[in-house]
Amino acid sequence: MLLWSLALRNLGRNARRTLLAGSVVALGFASFALAGGFMAQTFRGLRESTIRSGTGHLQFARPAVFSGVENTTLEHGLTGADRVASALAADPAVEAVLPRIDFVGLVSNGARSIPFLGVGLLPLPERRLMDVASLVTAGTWLSGGTERGVVLGSGLAAALNVRVGDTVTLLATTPDGTLNAQDATVVGLLDIGIKELNDRYLATTVGLASELLAVTGTVTKLVVVLREPAHEDLARTRLGEQLKRNGFDLVGRTWEELSPFYRQVRTLYIGIFGFMGLILAAVVLLATANTMIMAVAERTREVGTLRALGTRPGRIVRTFLAEGVALGLVGCAVGKALALIVTVALNHSGIMLPAPPGGTHGMPIHVEVYTLAYFTAGAAMLGVVVLASWLAARRAARIAIIEALAHV
Amino acid sequence: MDDVILAGRQLTRVYWLGATPVVAVAGVDLEVRRGEVLVLQGPSGSGKTTLINLLGLLDRPDEGEVIVDGKPASGDENILADMRRDRFGFIFQTFNLVPVLTAAENVEYPMTLKDMPGPERRRRARALLDRVGIGDKADVRPDLLSGGQRQRVAIARALANEPEIVLADEPTANLDSATTRDVLDLMRAVSAERQMALVVATHDPAVVERAGRVVTLRDGRVG
Repeated sequence: MLLWSLALRNLGRNARRTLLAGSVVALGFASFALAGGFMAQTFRGLRESTIRSGTGHLQFARPAVFSGVENTTLEHGLTGADRVASALAADPAVEAVLPRIDFVGLVSNGARSIPFLGVGLLPLPERRLMDVASLVTAGTWLSGGTERGVVLGSGLAAALNVRVGDTVTLLATTPDGTLNAQDATVVGLLDIGIKELNDRYLATTVGLASELLAVTGTVTKLVVVLREPAHEDLARTRLGEQLKRNGFDLVGRTWEELSPFYRQVRTLYIGIFGFMGLILAAVVLLATANTMIMAVAERTREVGTLRALGTRPGRIVRTFLAEGVALGLVGCAVGKALALIVTVALNHSGIMLPAPPGGTHGMPIHVEVYTLAYFTAGAAMLGVVVLASWLAARRAARIAIIEALAHV
Repeated sequence: MDDVILAGRQLTRVYWLGATPVVAVAGVDLEVRRGEVLVLQGPSGSGKTTLINLLGLLDRPDEGEVIVDGKPASGDENILADMRRDRFGFIFQTFNLVPVLTAAENVEYPMTLKDMPGPERRRRARALLDRVGIGDKADVRPDLLSGGQRQRVAIARALANEPEIVLADEPTANLDSATTRDVLDLMRAVSAERQMALVVATHDPAVVERAGRVVTLRDGRVG
């Protein structure tokens, strides 16, 4: 009975010091929770933008497409793509299968030719499932059908000095090495947000890309969009086995495997926030250790008395640990309230964050209430406070009784 | 011999002041019988407190041994702590009450160490406070009590686990003469009614007057 009662009353002995230590714990908790929420939101946003930027949840292609560089366009192309797409689309977890032809070439305005990175796609499902159509800043997205149109990155269009409605000529090498050319109309310009891509991006229909490359029914890969919630690894395995049973020698990759940028950002964030977390934990440890060591020093004679009365050293340690736990719990509760208030305030503040690396647009700050971050923050703060209490209590329990009783 | 509840055999304790040894207690033999009031007297520095500490298992002798109820008191700190809890009561010069606990809770504290149920603990604490004459102060914290009242709480706390031996180190040093008289009469009465040995270290003549037996220490030896 007396353990917790004693702990709480002892915390009240020096209210100002307890308040200070509790504030450090509360701020530590709030910082952990907010940073974790911001990080989680960033990862989720980056994941969604990666998937919706065109990567999809999964991609299936010939093994060589993922493992090496093609010497010629569609060298490792997937023939009979329609049958493979049908097999994939039959799975109930699959929302859509999007064929893609990746190709390179030159785009010319008659006076000047510039290299481009081209993609042939199905315009309508791409507009429905991906974000790329929403990036159009002038003109329209591709409308599909037999349209002989292209959408250019704004940087590429500027370099060519072409506008919506102008005609350009696409030149590319076919899989058998022949040079081919097709005229196309610029139907739209878009701004991807990454300068290097803006200066090279060209999108057209699978039909026009096939004509340019002189192929029929051959694509580079099939992009799979899953229904939410997506379980990419499970789906990849299941779909891969289905394809194998149907005689298709294809491999699948998840969006995460295909996105080194996401992995790098994730590693970087975890590193930065992890380091900050360690510093934060060290600050909380020092602050609470100071509080507990002061408490032990002030109560040395009392500890001597309790031990003289027959209190075992372990119980002395538990008494101080109970104080630490009580301090930690109250600090975490206040920290949680603080984190929630700050989250609401930040999410309504309209503060704009600067553009991410490689990006051209900033975004409004948004912090998620991330349960795992709150649990982690609570565990970290409690762990640190208990450690600080234990360090101080261990000293109290070890001191000789007569020394403690003589302490002034 | 059966009457001896506590004994010290050739107790020696040496402290070091830097490189200089200071012999606080040197080869003391002492026996304490059940129910007796034994006073250790002597001038400051004669070794009274050191001897009380050794007999109460608060300190360990460099030589010799303490025997409690016929058995040598030895073992790790937990064993000694349990022995202090079960067989000893302590009364200190400065009362040493826990300031955040009420008088009743201070008395209850030693009982919590024996995992006594709460209602029983509270009932006994109240009864002990009644016995020492401050039952009406049960819910008062020590800082609101007078010196005499605090020492009465300390006496009640010392009796909490019904010890066979109570050790008191200068229990009247911080009390006025009237309160000293009251406290001493109370301690003697409790000792007599519970057949409890009471060992008091003091240089207060008022305490010596009430002793059943007096042992004088001089330079760490029984003189």
